[in-house]
Amino acid sequence: MTNEPVGVLIIGAGASGGAFAWSIADLGTSVLCLEQGPWMHQRDYPTNFMDWETRASGPFAPNPNVRRLAQDYPVNDSESPIQPLMFNAVGGSTILWAAHFPRFTPGDFRVRTEDGVADDWPISYETLEPFYTPNDRMMGVSGLAGDPAYPYHEPPLPPLPLGATGNVVARGFERLGWHWWPSDSAIISQEYGGRAPCINLGACGSGCTQGAKASTDITYWPLAERKGVQLRTNCRVKEITVSENGLADGVLYYDADGVLQEQKAEVVVLACNGIGTPRLLLNSRSERFPDGLANSSGLVGKNLMFHPYALIRGIFEENLNSRRGPTGCTFWSHEFYKTDRSRGFVRGYSYEGSRGGGPGMSAVWGMATGRIPWGEGHHEAYARVNGHVAGMVAITEDLPDEANTVTLDPVLTDANGIPAPKVTYTLSENSRRQLAHAVDRGTEALKAAGAVDVQADPLMRTAGWHLMGTARMGTDPARSVVNEWGRAHDVKNLFIIDGSIFVTSAGVNPTSTIQALALYIADSIKKNVGELFA
Amino acid sequence: MSGSASALGDATFLSALLDTLIPSSGKRGMPGAGGLGIERDVAASIAADSAAGLPVGGWLEALYAGTPGFATLPAAERTGAVEAHAATNPAAMQALLRRVYLAYYQHPTVLVAIGEPPRPPFPEGFELEPSDPELLAALKPRQK
Ligand SMILES: Cc1cc2nc3c(=O)[nH]c(=O)nc-3n(C[C@H](O)[C@H](O)[C@H](O)COP(=O)(O)OP(=O)(O)OC[C@H]3O[C@@H](n4cnc5c(N)ncnc54)[C@H](O)[C@@H]3O)c2cc1C
Repeated sequence: MTNEPVGVLIIGAGASGGAFAWSIADLGTSVLCLEQGPWMHQRDYPTNFMDWETRASGPFAPNPNVRRLAQDYPVNDSESPIQPLMFNAVGGSTILWAAHFPRFTPGDFRVRTEDGVADDWPISYETLEPFYTPNDRMMGVSGLAGDPAYPYHEPPLPPLPLGATGNVVARGFERLGWHWWPSDSAIISQEYGGRAPCINLGACGSGCTQGAKASTDITYWPLAERKGVQLRTNCRVKEITVSENGLADGVLYYDADGVLQEQKAEVVVLACNGIGTPRLLLNSRSERFPDGLANSSGLVGKNLMFHPYALIRGIFEENLNSRRGPTGCTFWSHEFYKTDRSRGFVRGYSYEGSRGGGPGMSAVWGMATGRIPWGEGHHEAYARVNGHVAGMVAITEDLPDEANTVTLDPVLTDANGIPAPKVTYTLSENSRRQLAHAVDRGTEALKAAGAVDVQADPLMRTAGWHLMGTARMGTDPARSVVNEWGRAHDVKNLFIIDGSIFVTSAGVNPTSTIQALALYIADSIKKNVGELFA
Repeated sequence: MSGSASALGDATFLSALLDTLIPSSGKRGMPGAGGLGIERDVAASIAADSAAGLPVGGWLEALYAGTPGFATLPAAERTGAVEAHAATNPAAMQALLRRVYLAYYQHPTVLVAIGEPPRPPFPEGFELEPSDPELLAALKPRQK
């Protein structure tokens, strides 16, 4: 392996790394991405096998502490009610994601102005709009134009069918006169860009064997490689190195054989997600940066936001075949999205329709919720549940709090001996109230939809899907880690492009915005390349 | 007991335990979990769970040691023994049930009995009902 110096070095080949690599390739300099995981193969995904549900909760589990593959690093989550989830491979967490693809609303960028809490972003919806749209095309997004909750935009593909589960729950919202709209989904409803459409395998969360779900290993990466970007897999970055003048000058990384290598670069770009990125910055200590790289504000690793989730599910008389279809993407609702102080909390949440589990997980859910006994009565109860479940999740806006952190665990390390992250997180009173409200209103919607039984999990534990805020963006170097185009205040040639730079979380899934930001930052670098080192 | 020293190695015990957890139902046309030959799978996954730190293996051994002749007991007595033992460690019982349910509901015979095709989801996939046209029509006037 040669470690020739490169122009741009990206760390992490997930949602943001893929989008950024594809765009920055136009700069005309050499671009290299180091990724700790391997390429994935659709032939290995669980839905190829009879025991797909067992595999989905083993080697394809979203929790790295359960999965424990060679490319994973452990996360100490003993002081968090929510477990952080991710996947480490080319494609990153999009290998397992559900592909809900909402944008932020314009108001999500001005939380302080609108509600007097948290902070405004230094950029707006209008800044990102020119990048949301091409990103939708690159990923392949299905949806219905005209949602009144959003500025007008046209998804490139028609919406996915709601299916029986989506139809039944949407009818509940309709009866109550509440906002609902078919979801924008990064799952293709028709053949698109050489990819075959969704065939309703019902297991998006363990990798899409059909390739209908947009993971960046099958969307951005093949095109980025065609443009000349080099992607080196099974290479785990240990630390970012700095030159005497305080610029980042490359990285030290462990290759697939566990040998420590040095890679020099003119520009370093972090795309390791809201936990991997602060971990790497904190692991990059030097005489000049004793508290970790780019951390003069002390905010690296602080303000961790997750989106606390509630799950509200109904059991219906009719068999909805509810595990068939994309796991999540049916419809969303912004009925309770904006602040209404009479509800007892600020900001709000969105609902997203969800389906039932597979045959095995239906039984497990029935056991966990006391609806399906073992022994006598098992089969009767199972028949009432399996296929009959439909519901929704509530995604609450998590406000930034400096006490919610990613730090380095003093003991735990990964297989290469690199200190592992520790997550410390307390659910705020505001979140608690949002969740309670979401459970009550969600129950009302399911009853209106005709559910004969409703069950709610008011705070999902295995639900740290969204990792945000740990290297926040801002114009004030004392109050933020990167500037308004992702450049570290302290290190001119260091950029961060993942969810770490979020100022606030909004009440919707983040990846459409993460990728729009990555494209916007790549574009800003291309425009400002002459002044990068000035 | 067959003389084997461990619960996970005793197929007769495991088969009787599985039938206790999921008995057959003539009315619903469902087989019992003990007659499907899934004992080995269940034992392997319980061993893996135990290696990962879940308490289920040791707890199962205690049931095995504490209930001599479990497999030969009448069904009601087996149920009583499992109920009493479950109360000593509900988390271990849940871990056991999770493994049994996953193995059972992945078996082709069971899939057919619950009306599912006995195959993996890929490559055939599934049909999905279209969106209700009335619902979509209701959205039209709200479109921005
Ligand atoms: C089960 C699940 C469901 C989800 N569903 C949705 C959804 O429906 N909608 C949505 O918007 N979002 C969803 N998400 C979240 C979404 O996947 C993430 O927001 C998105 O992938 C984040 O992009 P990223 O580039 O920041 O990080 P990732 O995609 O996580 O990629 C980071 C990459 O960096 C690599 N890396 C980390 N550290 C190092 C290192 N030291 N050296 C080398 N490489 C490193 C990792 O291996 C990884 O591949 C889901 C996530 C999960 C886990």
